[in-house]
Amino acid sequence: MSDLHQDIKQLIIDALGLEDISTHDIGNDQTLFGEGLGLDSVDALELGLAIQKRYGIKIDADAKDTRNHFTSVDSLAAFVSARQVA
Amino acid sequence: MSWIDLEHLLLDAHPQRAVAHAPAFSHAALQERARCVAAALQQRGVTRLAVHLEDAAELAIALFAAWRAGVAVLLPSDLQAQTRQRWAGHVDLWLTDLPGDTRLDQLNADPLPPASLDLDQCSLSLCTSGSSGEPKLIEKRLRQLANEVSTLERLWGADLGDACIIGSVAAQHIYGLLFRVLWPLCAGRSFVRQQLPFPEDLQRASREHESFAWVASPALLKRMGDNLDWSHLSAVRRVFSSGGALPADAAASLHQRLGQWPSEILGSSETGGIAWRQGDTLWRAFDDVSLSQNADGALRIESPYLPSGHVEQTADAVRFLEDGHFELLGRLDRIVKLEEKRISLPLLEQALATHDWVSEARLAVVRGNRASLGALVVLSASGVHALRNQGRRALTQALRQHLVPYCEALALPRRWRLLSHLPLNAQGKLPQALIETLLVSPRTHVPDLVAQEQHDDEWRLELIVPLDLAHLPGHFPGTPILPGVVQVDWAMNLSQRLMDLPPRFAGMEVLKFQKLVRPGDRISLTLRFDPERSKLHFAYRNGEAACSSGRILLVNADA
Repeated sequence: MSDLHQDIKQLIIDALGLEDISTHDIGNDQTLFGEGLGLDSVDALELGLAIQKRYGIKIDADAKDTRNHFTSVDSLAAFVSARQVA
Repeated sequence: MSWIDLEHLLLDAHPQRAVAHAPAFSHAALQERARCVAAALQQRGVTRLAVHLEDAAELAIALFAAWRAGVAVLLPSDLQAQTRQRWAGHVDLWLTDLPGDTRLDQLNADPLPPASLDLDQCSLSLCTSGSSGEPKLIEKRLRQLANEVSTLERLWGADLGDACIIGSVAAQHIYGLLFRVLWPLCAGRSFVRQQLPFPEDLQRASREHESFAWVASPALLKRMGDNLDWSHLSAVRRVFSSGGALPADAAASLHQRLGQWPSEILGSSETGGIAWRQGDTLWRAFDDVSLSQNADGALRIESPYLPSGHVEQTADAVRFLEDGHFELLGRLDRIVKLEEKRISLPLLEQALATHDWVSEARLAVVRGNRASLGALVVLSASGVHALRNQGRRALTQALRQHLVPYCEALALPRRWRLLSHLPLNAQGKLPQALIETLLVSPRTHVPDLVAQEQHDDEWRLELIVPLDLAHLPGHFPGTPILPGVVQVDWAMNLSQRLMDLPPRFAGMEVLKFQKLVRPGDRISLTLRFDPERSKLHFAYRNGEAACSSGRILLVNADA
């Protein structure tokens, strides 16, 4: 697991105030929203803010499907890496 | 026994009509005394009188005297210095049991003649704490009080018959005043003079009367034990309860012991009686009270017990059923909004309490990046078992799952604090602000110290391992145990508080861990310092069983 993956998992836990969950409990490809971790759309909004702030990146408000980046830790890590390079 | 309207109680004298016992007191005597006191009040030029009298018969004399004399009456809820200071400007004379104030027997003059009382001129003011905590005055005209006692008699007069009225509540508040004093006076029932807050006194008073009824509150009714003579007490004509919600199990226990359900009265100082229920979760309004809801769903009251034309808006959320019965959903300040969704905290608390693992629960909003709910949960015995054998996460997940049918996903509590009991304040309440504080505070790192004693150079401590100890989850999430390193840490920290020890940890020896220590365990810890070798001996035991022991080498900071 990359540092970025680990970092994002900790960010999810901290930003959403999740109790009794450690980074080990979140799988890289686990669905974060809906079933999965049981997070909802408001969590997705919160996480969006936290990701942008933490990594100094912007989610393109005009692009379609930006929320697809939030499917899993894998997709978030890919998104953050791509943005940081850009 | 015949009814006399409240405003006509000072008209004709009825020497055969009993008002109170020990000493016996008749209606004729009450009437005579009230007219004498009325004359004395007029002679002294009193226009505003504060009354605080323990004896309900004396209170009755004072009230009727004031009304007969055209004097405004204030009934302060207590006589604390702050209360007196607050109302000092509203009062010419304090008529109380306290030394330094005027006593009732000091007020004497040739009696004023008998007369009817004016329903709209006579009044009294009650003090209440108000929902903001700031005391306020509530004025009641005699008409409002007369309307209410008439309703009570229509509902329950026949049942009560000639029962002597025995009260566990003060007559100084609206409920006690109406039920213990004014209603019996009009109905011709006698009452016990003193407030009897203890079950044993209530029983003794009950034995002295062939027929009796209780005017009580949950404070007493939920604390009546097996020490009482229930077969005798079951002769009670009716058990009234008001002032707060009577827990369902207390009501059921009374039903089982007395063969009747308590009659609960819903009301407040502002509104007087609103509704009643008996062995039911649903309330029904008193006949002449008319109820509705505002846009927020809060109960609105129009009632002949309120000043005419006044509509009282409460903060109690309510749901009406077709037959006119209604359900109280809790105070509106306990209905919160999360992301525009309205959530009733009491409803979810009740739902949580139906889970086998939960004995009580309180919820509050936890404000973080997003607002969510947090839960204070008092675990039942099976809940503690589940925590110890499945772990905290499995427990909270199961409780969240249990709530799924009751609310939207966003209302599922995200933060949990597991407690052995709710930290109620002196009034038996848990203010919302305190729930919030407890939920925001980090989980504890230290044991609950329940006892400590010293024998020579040895200390013996009794500890309870908190259910919610912060050290527990990460270790063995499925079966939380108290880590050995934490046991060593506690031994060091506790002994450093009790004894004068070198501060620095320099090693351990002969460590033995023999038995697991788990959340909720009550354990003993013995501590002894051997100054020669500079070693702290510690041993944890659970009952007879040794849990762990060892020696900790301590050295000075500069060593």
